[in-house]
Amino acid sequence: MDIGFLAQYLMNGLMLGMMYALVAVGFTLFFGVLDVIKFSHGDVLTVGAFTALATYLGLEQIGVTDPATQILVMVIVSTVLIGGLGAVIARTVILPLRSAPPLNTLLITLMLGTVLREAVRLFYPEGGNPKPFPALLPTDSVTFGNFNLRLDNVLMFGAGVLVIVGTQWMLNRTKLGLAIRAVAQDEETAKTMGINFNLIVFITFALGSALAAFAGVMNGLYYNEINFGMGLLLGVIGFSAAIVGGMGNLYGAILGGFLFAALQTIGAVALPFASAYKDVFAFAVVIAIMAWRPTGLIQEKVSDRV
Amino acid sequence: MSNSSETLLRVSGVYTAYDKADVLQDVNLEAQAGKITCLLGSNGSGKSTLIRSLLGLTPPNKGSILFDGIELSGLPTHKIVETGLSCIPEGRRVFPKLSVEDNLKVGAYQEKDNTVVASRLKEVYDTFPRLADRKGQLAGTMSGGEQAMVSIGRGLMGAPKLLLIDEPSLGLSPLFVKENFNIIRRINERGITIFLVEQNVHQTLAISDYGYVLSKGSVVASGTPSELSSTKEVHDAYFG
Repeated sequence: MDIGFLAQYLMNGLMLGMMYALVAVGFTLFFGVLDVIKFSHGDVLTVGAFTALATYLGLEQIGVTDPATQILVMVIVSTVLIGGLGAVIARTVILPLRSAPPLNTLLITLMLGTVLREAVRLFYPEGGNPKPFPALLPTDSVTFGNFNLRLDNVLMFGAGVLVIVGTQWMLNRTKLGLAIRAVAQDEETAKTMGINFNLIVFITFALGSALAAFAGVMNGLYYNEINFGMGLLLGVIGFSAAIVGGMGNLYGAILGGFLFAALQTIGAVALPFASAYKDVFAFAVVIAIMAWRPTGLIQEKVSDRV
Repeated sequence: MSNSSETLLRVSGVYTAYDKADVLQDVNLEAQAGKITCLLGSNGSGKSTLIRSLLGLTPPNKGSILFDGIELSGLPTHKIVETGLSCIPEGRRVFPKLSVEDNLKVGAYQEKDNTVVASRLKEVYDTFPRLADRKGQLAGTMSGGEQAMVSIGRGLMGAPKLLLIDEPSLGLSPLFVKENFNIIRRINERGITIFLVEQNVHQTLAISDYGYVLSKGSVVASGTPSELSSTKEVHDAYFG
């Protein structure tokens, strides 16, 4: 096969991998601090994408037409509002269910996801139809044979790398990150060190949800279209990525995200006659990996030594 | 401060229950500023529950916990810690996947001033040079004795007025148990009030100024170490 063709697939895989990784990091953060799986995460992403679109339409209304300004405002409004939504979900749904069996949290967040999805469909003007998402990034490109490297893709990928590196830096190098890691390892002892547990939970859920909103905007800019069901598959893929990488592990989530995108890409390349089956192929491989390593690729190194 | 006999902690009429079964019943005790007060009692006597009540982890249903003029019962744990209480928990409870230095830094979480944190860190490293050698090591990979140092150092990082120490000798080798008691005495000599919960009667009474004996959730005896070592309740509480 032509090398330029493969490069095109690789670029596409990297873009998808970045979006999956952003979603998977959220899952792993929630699981880390509270041991919960929040199935509404994908639909939070959808709400984030629609919030960005609504912001864009609002900016057009008031005459702000500079694409750079538009995109900056869209990202800020979307991540801040969705971060707030994440904290509200933690406060009203997740924390009150702490003493209930984990299955209840699973079920409730699954239902919450449906509520969010249906709310977008019913309350966003003609929300049932796919919505065009503006292409606001410069689409200049350089062509090498069959490979067309677009500036907007490079910019999006770079922004994604910055966000993930920033999250990693925050977790490992700041006092807030130290508190999040302490809570994740031993909630009770963290409290007795003077850490405000509830506040850390709200911040973590806000952070994870803001990352999902960012992924949602990225998805819109990449495909130039969003719809109310977009979060369903992205949520399932992000969840699988987090599990495959090793739940609770940040690097595992990133690895899992890119791995899943790689599998989809391989599936599409290897099965050119049936590229519609690329998701089937990717999920099948994920199932095989889970059978081989049930706790994920990056396993927790547990020390029982006292 | 260490010479006055003002009461730093006053627990009065505390009842604490898990699932409606009272574990603590009408507990009354005091800790004098600058002293070492100990609480003796066998397994299941309610010692750990009392520590949990003081820290707000299992808030009391009834009664008052007055610390340095502030009522603690009803406050969330991080607010209680803010008033100047620190704890060295039972089983040490180091954060296994944090480095030694990060463990210590979590202990000073409420201190906003980084230079203060740095100077406390230096103090802990002076006290436990072994921790300075291993500051980058994950605490979970250390030996029990080393984890005890991390846990004690972490408790000191909060610069507490009152340090709660829960069963420090549990699971440690006899040699380190002895060293542990020396460390507790040295911490107290720096002016930190200590509330020590232990099963190890003789070594505990040897360093304490005053003691209480807890049995079945109530204080059954109190007094100076010499008074306590000869009372029937102490023997009953352990051997009865």
